[in-house]
Amino acid sequence: MRLGVGAVLAALFLAVYAIPAWVSSPSNVGNIILSPLFWPYALAGFTGLTGFGLIYSGLRLDQSGAPLEEPSDEAGAAWVRLALMAVIMVLTMLLLPGLGMVLTSMLIFAATAFLVRTRHPMTALVCAVLVPLVLYAFFAHVAGVAIPQGEVLRLP
Amino acid sequence: MSFVDSLAAGLSLVGNIEAFLALFLGVAIGVIGGAIPGMSATMAVALTLPFTFAMQPITGILLLLGVYKGGIFGGSIPAILIKTPGTPASSATILDGYPMAEKGEAGRALGMALWASCTADVISNLSLILFAGWLASFALSFGPPEFFTLILFSLTIIAGVSGESLLRGALSALLGLLLATIGLDLVYGTNRFTFGDPNMMGGLNFIAVLIGLFAIPEILAMVRHPTAHVGKARSLGKNWVTFGEYRRSFKSIVRGSFIGVFLGSIPGIGAAPSAFLSYSEARRTSKNRENFGKGEIEGVAASEAGNNGVAGATLIPLLALGVPGDVITAIIIGAFMIHGLQPGPMMFILNVDIIYGLFIGLIVSSVFLFLIGSIAIRGFKYVADVPKRILIPAVLVLCIYGVFAVNNNIFDVGVMFVMGWIGFAMMRYRVPAAPFLIAFILGPLLEDNFRQSMLMSGSDPAILVRGPITWFFWAMTLLTIIAIARAGIRAVKAGPLLGQPPQG
Repeated sequence: MRLGVGAVLAALFLAVYAIPAWVSSPSNVGNIILSPLFWPYALAGFTGLTGFGLIYSGLRLDQSGAPLEEPSDEAGAAWVRLALMAVIMVLTMLLLPGLGMVLTSMLIFAATAFLVRTRHPMTALVCAVLVPLVLYAFFAHVAGVAIPQGEVLRLP
Repeated sequence: MSFVDSLAAGLSLVGNIEAFLALFLGVAIGVIGGAIPGMSATMAVALTLPFTFAMQPITGILLLLGVYKGGIFGGSIPAILIKTPGTPASSATILDGYPMAEKGEAGRALGMALWASCTADVISNLSLILFAGWLASFALSFGPPEFFTLILFSLTIIAGVSGESLLRGALSALLGLLLATIGLDLVYGTNRFTFGDPNMMGGLNFIAVLIGLFAIPEILAMVRHPTAHVGKARSLGKNWVTFGEYRRSFKSIVRGSFIGVFLGSIPGIGAAPSAFLSYSEARRTSKNRENFGKGEIEGVAASEAGNNGVAGATLIPLLALGVPGDVITAIIIGAFMIHGLQPGPMMFILNVDIIYGLFIGLIVSSVFLFLIGSIAIRGFKYVADVPKRILIPAVLVLCIYGVFAVNNNIFDVGVMFVMGWIGFAMMRYRVPAAPFLIAFILGPLLEDNFRQSMLMSGSDPAILVRGPITWFFWAMTLLTIIAIARAGIRAVKAGPLLGQPPQG
């Protein structure tokens, strides 16, 4: 039901705002079928129809019989961990250009391992150093990829 | 070029140590990846993909095919030993595999799983070799309207059978098609959802989208519930499968292999339904049907033959038509594209050496699977002991390196993270990710063929029903929609309605 409502809202947003604002079409296109706008509008229309279908089937089905997720006895903590994971991802994007890929990877490896409450903290720290270095060695020296080095650490 | 010439060309391409080493390594990675609960064959193939960028096309593709084949078998090991399928395709193996493990016959079940898998793999590969060329020569006569209807049919069936309902699958496919519109317009070159950012003008990077959809949600699920996937492995026991047992199950294995070949060659159906159908057919026809579900070795053989029979056959639509049959072949099509190759009927003319090289590699992969599988069965406890909470951060770092390596672009890493959260939301709302990815890949092809058809006909839609091939695909699309919708309506009618107490 919620999914259907979301699909209908997304279709409306696309049709009313997103496509007119963010899809440009040359003014001399005579036939709408060949216009760059046609395909996005058609897809938005089908998304809306699918949304209505989902709402209809949601109204028919008993929601109590289909839980959205596995029951968890620590739902609050789970959401906090997910939020922290989102922060780690944002920090990754911010740190990559300055710190370089190797150092950033070391930090996010350690942070993620402790976020999932690893029972092997020493192993996690050793792997946090070794895994990014091994991957750097492969991608930089075998695959020939220019891995960002950053301003702090310069590797051969 | 005659058959012998083609075979010689293929042999000259793969007749070197690198190609066979890559295949061997691929099968080993696949078996280990498939055997680790919480990973899957799909994730193993996706994570291996970045390592193929620096390889020769044939070597890289053989590595991925090895991972695919190894992964499908590897999934059966945790299914039997800890009642957790390593891949969804191994779900049917639990039904008899785990009861056998409980009786101390895990080694026997795993031995039969390996023998059945290898037999099905050989049958599937031979079917690929026999049918792919024939289908490709037929597809050479396809024009844009035929390709449009073929892709539409493929997307319909993928959307219909991937999730729990046609509507959820259709929503997933539509979102994938919408995402594929990002970038410059195919005909006029105008901007579509690019927000003026040059990074978006070429469309979103396929590898970033696929790793985001299939690896990051698993990491997020692990972060949300870190103690999941913890299971206790059963011992192998002293008994091993005998040739007599293999011979007794041979009919079920061959039947299951052909079910796998048939279902695998239809885009979208995949290994899990094939395994269940093979299992139910074996139970229906077996003399020991009352033992099924209680630890019947023929049940293990049938389900493993069913899921491995798919592995070669899914390459039939991929190689002959350029249409990926499932998520793993969608990733493999990405490997082809990265190396500048476009699977489809023209490949059988332009790159026949690669096609025959792949055929030779696939035949050899069955032998490698037997060798590596025998070792993996005994070594599973070491794989099961890999701490998942160390593995997950390693996978995250590998994803970052792999996605960056495609274009040397940090923007792609951001795309991967965003797609990861979208994939996680889809997982929670039970929207299947497979139609999304396949629609994202086929979206430009679908739109391009549609617009080419319109240009050819002066915008007359009648061109889309211009001949028997288009009629056939339209009829199949309609039949698929009707069949899936009827099944959905029956399920709704059978289930409890709002405001009514559940039956029973």
